[in-house]
Amino acid sequence: MNRHLILFRVIASKSVTLSRRYLVNTVVGFLTLYVFFALIFFGGQFVAEELISRSVGPLVVGYFLFTMAVSAYADLTHDLTDEAQWGTLEQLSMSPFGFTEVVAMKTVVNLLGTFATGMVLLVLMMATTGTWLTIAPLSLVVVGVLTLLPVVGLGFVFGGAALVYKQIEKVFPLIQLSFAGLLALPVQEYALLKLLPMSQGGHILQRVMTDGLRVWELPIFDLMLLVGQSVVYLAIGILVFRVGTANARKRGVLGHY
Amino acid sequence: MCPRTTDPPEHDAVVSVSALTKRYTGETGRVTAVDDISFDIQSGQIVGLLGPNGAGKTTTVKTVLGLVTPTRGDVSIHGVPVHEARSRAYNYVSAVLEGARNVYWRLSVRENLAFFAGLHGIDPRTRADRHEAIIDTLGLTAKADEPAKNLSRGMKQKVALGTTLARETPVLFLDEPMLGLDVETTRDLPTELQRLAHEEDKTIVITSHDMDIIEAVCDRVIVLSDGDIVADDSVDNLLDVFQSQSYRVQLTGNPPAHLREQLNTRFKLLNWRTDTDTAEFKIALAGSEEFYECVEILQTAEATIRSVTEIEPDLEDVFVELTTAESVSPEETES
Repeated sequence: MNRHLILFRVIASKSVTLSRRYLVNTVVGFLTLYVFFALIFFGGQFVAEELISRSVGPLVVGYFLFTMAVSAYADLTHDLTDEAQWGTLEQLSMSPFGFTEVVAMKTVVNLLGTFATGMVLLVLMMATTGTWLTIAPLSLVVVGVLTLLPVVGLGFVFGGAALVYKQIEKVFPLIQLSFAGLLALPVQEYALLKLLPMSQGGHILQRVMTDGLRVWELPIFDLMLLVGQSVVYLAIGILVFRVGTANARKRGVLGHY
Repeated sequence: MCPRTTDPPEHDAVVSVSALTKRYTGETGRVTAVDDISFDIQSGQIVGLLGPNGAGKTTTVKTVLGLVTPTRGDVSIHGVPVHEARSRAYNYVSAVLEGARNVYWRLSVRENLAFFAGLHGIDPRTRADRHEAIIDTLGLTAKADEPAKNLSRGMKQKVALGTTLARETPVLFLDEPMLGLDVETTRDLPTELQRLAHEEDKTIVITSHDMDIIEAVCDRVIVLSDGDIVADDSVDNLLDVFQSQSYRVQLTGNPPAHLREQLNTRFKLLNWRTDTDTAEFKIALAGSEEFYECVEILQTAEATIRSVTEIEPDLEDVFVELTTAESVSPEETES
């Protein structure tokens, strides 16, 4: 078997094993997300029924994307701080694959898990609201991944910073909250806002899921911008992560917490 | 790309450290943790790295492993320059650094071994027999499917050692491998480490505060003090150098007050204890001339010698001598 596949397999196997072993935690975490959505939906109907009924589609898509973004970001940053606390971070960094590849592979596994639970949550949300969106799976995955990659880039930036400045983890929840704001930015009115992470992707994903557009039916400029944005944010993230790792090694704090 | 060479290239020294220096800038200014140290380790050697707290052991180990970037100096493992080609070097080295904390507590013993083997690109499914053998050797068979968090600290330490062996690297660094181990394992592990070195040609570097273990297991000892190497020799040679130099002297009656100061000024007085009608001290004397001079001082002070016993030093005596008194250079210990 290819050595990179072996790495993927053991990381995925560990993730699945832990999810199954701590099934109650996994289920409770998932249910919390669902209950929180139900509170927004039913509570919103109680307070502003007309507004909620007009925007059920965007609400479902926005919540779906928000939970996935939070998960993609938190899995990466918290994994790094947790591994430092457990004493396993230095062990991961001592892999012949290189620290960046190991962390990237963990992120790929986490993203797959995020997508899997995200899809179940999406179906539950649609069932709860009675609003069935037109979902083209391929388009959803392509746009979804491209939208989440800048978040992964941010995860690498803050994860890399956390390797050097351990206290930075205290701002992680604030960063997660900001995703809701980024998803709600009026990118149609202010084109420059499209350059911010997730804003453009969130807008396109709304169109894919509520208007039923396929990826090849999207304006080519918007799609290229999304691809460019994903690549740039991810590249910046990995660069900062590598600089952070090198800096942590120089200061001798790589495994500290 | 992540090349893995099954047969490492032939080199005289599997670990080579040259002019290694690490300085940190802390709140109190610039601190030199490791000061221009050099040493080579040959294949199949078991080397003990000793030193009091703050001597620079951990920084040395982490710098050799590429986890800390040196201020100056070079490290190579199996000919691979660690700080220029870190990933490639990790094909040849693995480590237990924080013992029980180096494993995933929520994974079982078997799962930990499988994960860390995979982290080194080794398919755990093809190594099931080897992993079972490691688990058996470490006495963990009955606990193989138990999450590590349910195990004792000593057992977790064994799991950490097991995950290092599962990575199948020719060089192992073990930081305090005996910490928390039960009596039985502490007795068995040295035999296992020697078997690994002699039968599997593993090169092992151990840091430990347990001098008995180091003395029992290691072929060679490197003693660090204040970031510098104060001794680097075989255990036997180190013991020989300090052999016949220390004496326990018992006096009858209370000696004059100036005697202690006089002996301390002239020789290395290691300890001094007086009772109501006796005095006892331990003294290091270099050669017969100093021995006779000491006796003469005692006679001049009209002290009555009750007994003089030559002390057989163990590694702990050597260590205390090296790290609390003046530094002895490797050249001196070799002479």
